[in-house]
Amino acid sequence: MFKAQNIISIGVFAFFGGTLRYLLGEWLSYNGTILVNLSGSFLLALLTYYAIANNRWPEWLTVGLGTGFVGSYTTFSTFNIDMLKMITQNQAGLLSYFLTTVIGGLGCAFLGYLVAKQFNKREQR
Amino acid sequence: MILMIGLGAAVGSIIRYVLTQIVKQKQKTVFPLATFVINLSGSFLLGMLLGLNSTPVVYKIFGTGLIGGYTTFSTFNTEIILLKNSDQPKMAMAYLLSSYLGGGLLAIIGWQLGKLLG
Repeated sequence: MFKAQNIISIGVFAFFGGTLRYLLGEWLSYNGTILVNLSGSFLLALLTYYAIANNRWPEWLTVGLGTGFVGSYTTFSTFNIDMLKMITQNQAGLLSYFLTTVIGGLGCAFLGYLVAKQFNKREQR
Repeated sequence: MILMIGLGAAVGSIIRYVLTQIVKQKQKTVFPLATFVINLSGSFLLGMLLGLNSTPVVYKIFGTGLIGGYTTFSTFNTEIILLKNSDQPKMAMAYLLSSYLGGGLLAIIGWQLGKLLG
């Protein structure tokens, strides 16, 4: 069930995804979490509908990029903790942070799916 | 230190992958149970770590690195699109609402529990 090359690939890619998320968070604070979560949702939907759905790339590469890099680059736990911190520190920004993440995350994932569909169509011609 | 954060994220992601594969093999519904449990438990754990008032270094390695890499926002949203595209709009909505409600609630519970223990 578990191939060593998949596990290693996920670990290596996740190392870079997590490090990039940390650096963006240090630089942009709450906006860093929004940036990684929205761009990551776009990238994963694109990857899922372009590469994984058509078996374009080897499994170790798609799980490394998807589950490893993008999965580690985005975060659900920090999103909730950001809001927890905002309750005491920045109530004015709380609602816009929540709505931007919820609507933007879903919107970006849907956009990734649409772009993948276009790519797939173009290659069928 | 940045090396330790990356290593934490690598370990967190591998745990997420292994758990997801095991749950997917055993479950019979299309509800993304694995990601749901991972995101809720991770929100609880990160809340607890915050409440425990740990040092910044510990929080960055275990919180930002390990737990941040363990939970995932991109898979959550992609699964909602996948559910919607496979004619499961009600389940997509239920997954969305339960994840946001549950994640927020468990973060608060973990935070309070951490403060009690810390």
